[in-house]
Amino acid sequence: MDAPVIAVEGLSVSYRQGAGFNRVVDDVSFSVAPGEVFGLVGESGCGKSTIALQLLGYRTPAMRTDAGTISFDGRDLLALDRAELDRIRGARIAFVPQNPTTALNPGIRVGAQIDEILGAHGYGEAGRRVDRALELFGLVGLPSRPDFLRRYPHQLSGGQQQRVCIAMALACDPAFVVLDEPTTGLDVTTQEQIVALLIDLRARLGMSMLYVTHDLGLLSQIADRVGVMYAGRMVEIAPTEELFTDPKHPYTRGLIGSIPRIEDKSGLPARPLRGLLQRHNLPKGCPFAPRCDWALPECFEDRQELATAGSAREVACWRWPEIEVPEDARALVESPEVEQAGNLLAINDVSVIYGSGRDAFTALREISLDIGEGETVALVGESGSGKSTLARAVAGLLAPAGGEIRLAGKALAGHVKDRTPEERRLIQFVFQNPDASLNPRARIAKALSRPLEFFFGKSTAENVTAALADVRLDGKYAARFPDELSGGERQRVAIARGLVAEPTLLLCDEILSALDVSVQASILALLQRLKTERGIAMLFISHDLAVVRMLADRVCVLFRGDIMELGRRDQIFAAPFHPYTHSLLEAVPTPLKPHPRREATRETAGTTPATGCAYAGRCAWQIGDICDNERPPWRETEEGLRIRCHHTLDELSRRATWPNAAPKQTEDQKVIQ
Amino acid sequence: MSIETLTAPPSRWNGLLPLWRQTPLSFRIGLIILLIHFVIAATGPFWAPYGYSQMGTGRPLSGMSWAHPFGVDQLGRDIFSRVVHGAHIVILLSLSGTLLGLIIGAVLGLLSGYVGGWFDEILQRFLEALISIPFLVLALIAIAAAGPELSGNPVLIVLVVALVYAPRIARMARTVAVDIATRDYVTVARLRGESAWSVMRRELLPNATSVLLVEFALRAGYAPVLIGSLGFLGFGLRPPTPEWGLMISENRALIMITPITVLGPGLALASLVVGLNLFTEGLARILGRTVKLGVQ
Repeated sequence: MDAPVIAVEGLSVSYRQGAGFNRVVDDVSFSVAPGEVFGLVGESGCGKSTIALQLLGYRTPAMRTDAGTISFDGRDLLALDRAELDRIRGARIAFVPQNPTTALNPGIRVGAQIDEILGAHGYGEAGRRVDRALELFGLVGLPSRPDFLRRYPHQLSGGQQQRVCIAMALACDPAFVVLDEPTTGLDVTTQEQIVALLIDLRARLGMSMLYVTHDLGLLSQIADRVGVMYAGRMVEIAPTEELFTDPKHPYTRGLIGSIPRIEDKSGLPARPLRGLLQRHNLPKGCPFAPRCDWALPECFEDRQELATAGSAREVACWRWPEIEVPEDARALVESPEVEQAGNLLAINDVSVIYGSGRDAFTALREISLDIGEGETVALVGESGSGKSTLARAVAGLLAPAGGEIRLAGKALAGHVKDRTPEERRLIQFVFQNPDASLNPRARIAKALSRPLEFFFGKSTAENVTAALADVRLDGKYAARFPDELSGGERQRVAIARGLVAEPTLLLCDEILSALDVSVQASILALLQRLKTERGIAMLFISHDLAVVRMLADRVCVLFRGDIMELGRRDQIFAAPFHPYTHSLLEAVPTPLKPHPRREATRETAGTTPATGCAYAGRCAWQIGDICDNERPPWRETEEGLRIRCHHTLDELSRRATWPNAAPKQTEDQKVIQ
Repeated sequence: MSIETLTAPPSRWNGLLPLWRQTPLSFRIGLIILLIHFVIAATGPFWAPYGYSQMGTGRPLSGMSWAHPFGVDQLGRDIFSRVVHGAHIVILLSLSGTLLGLIIGAVLGLLSGYVGGWFDEILQRFLEALISIPFLVLALIAIAAAGPELSGNPVLIVLVVALVYAPRIARMARTVAVDIATRDYVTVARLRGESAWSVMRRELLPNATSVLLVEFALRAGYAPVLIGSLGFLGFGLRPPTPEWGLMISENRALIMITPITVLGPGLALASLVVGLNLFTEGLARILGRTVKLGVQ
């Protein structure tokens, strides 16, 4: 093996907490070889981002490096002073941030921001740097036109902004690039394009990368080796393929088992992790012991160090040779599809228009959708597709411009304030972001007792305890403030707050997307149980098709405010597909599936023509002008699957390639926009 | 998959005694300064060396001495005694005036920010009109409107302070409310059908306290100055009331001869303002839970 580009040795980092310091990274060692992509994965709070920042020599007064070295270019980054670091950062080691929207300066043109980094490192003369910037834009798949350099960040889409950030990172030909969750904030289709770009760049430029993410599926596509972190410690390092086929550490097994597999018919995670990382009561020994199925009493006392386990592998568990690979333990029964008992909610030709006059924007275009009693309908689509708008219209936060919404046969008023208390009680909303959905100044007991008081006139401590028990939280949580809870716990409280009103319909707006995969799995299990035990109907909004496949009875695929496809779960995940559904399915990263070289899509193609198909302009299977000019007809199979497309169902079935490998991508299709 | 019940980690709210050590330093200093002021205000009249209007206590216009720490004014009154006697008047009038303004301003501002629409528009234009009138002019208009028989009445002073401050506090509260009103927990309350008053009391107010308290401290600090100015112009409390602002006004001509006669009341006023600010700033941090109190 070549000498590593960067080698981390025994790194320990602490953050200031109150009077003392709290160890967040504990004795971590790894190295990255030239041209290698090293993936760093773990749940939130495991210390992976801290390591990423340490590799850039980032220091804050609240942070203390207790031990360790980071060797790069024969020097220890941790021992360098600020001036020396400034010369290395951006030039030799570059960084791609998580959120391009906040990483780019909104007041400076993107070309000037690239010029800034080139100038700071003395890269080329002032006049010549424009050529370099254009070259970089070409490299990252942005139009290499001078007028594009003069755009401001807000004139670019999220994917384009991230491409600019990548171009900035590559500006000075760095030897090493650190990527901190570079696709987390992006849509699944955009995410796929960025990952494809990174794979391509790596093949062409041969640079080394550290890719930090919580998404193992993603790492399988791009990383050569993966390091798995848990509670600040490295628990396993292995080549990617071996890690997925033969995970050794119990945590890695749980993490891989927690990923809902989209290609799997049942969609259930094979063997999810139990419990949650509770940093305040870690045992003296192995931090994973409390959640480990194989833990022995010794595991709680003695710490396992990372040790060699076969060629090129390291595991921090001394029981790994003994542990049998378990059978798939699917304790959860696939939720039976609900018979159409009776219609609970009827959405008839609902349109929502934002703004008025020339600025009017049609967010929903004559949507019709029914939800049966106890039925879970999933709304799927990328951001801007109108998923949340529909949920908000049902909740009464937005009055539809046309059409009507009926609950159990009775028409609902457009605005929530015009609805009866009973109607308000029967529809409850759970929001995406658990940080914002609870009043930070109210204890959990107050958050749960208020709806009880409001709807039923009284609330007792027992009611609150029971409500917490419903979402599997201990009664002691009642005395807590939201900031004393983790994201998953807060989301459980938010669900409990909806449930205490005893609704018949729960609107869930991306309620899993802010959570870690293992936490997601436990909340999903909770929702499954509520569905079967209580018979609550759900409108479940998600961009994660694997999750949708697990939970939904029926799926509705939205694009730019129009329904593209609507049908039962098994119908949606089988041919024929709507072209958009097909592209969504193709874009889902799946562990160890070769990266789909699917037909490239144009990133954005202006506004949708008012008359034609909403997907026209981005559709890979577009027929011609007819798509732009005529709204496609509904095509319905005998089983009731409805697809809105100009292609016939037979044609759509013929073109479908998912879930098998997609046809090869040709060079000229790679051009984006 | 089993869905297990999560047990709560030990709470950080277990005792009160060790909390003091964890409070911000500014809170502790501010609280001590305020306590000194309150003790002086409550007990001052019993131990002050002279009465507040007692003349001939020493040679007029004499400077600092052991007998007269803050000197003696033109009429031979002991400034230190006057400061001590005035403490409760200053504290009572400024605090109650600012508090009244805070209540009116916070309620109007929070409701206006949450309800929005034409109610917000009209109220904001009206408040802007009030704010555009300078402090003193507005106060004088109000006093003139109240009529001569109420002039010099402490209740009128309190109302005037509230009238001057309420629009400014309302605007601040509205800005905060507009921001909080978009949070999901407010949307949840709205979906439940809570009245605007209930949303304001349960969701907005608790999250606006830190901003409102800082605002309160700042305004309360200026209130003695406003009251003093009114007194100086002959529309506030009447001499010989030992009100600090009034005393500064009375003695300001003597500043070249015996600066301590102005500095004394000024020092008392400044320490009250500083104490109020430190205390409320610390309180805001505790309530805002940026500093968390509790036993580890």
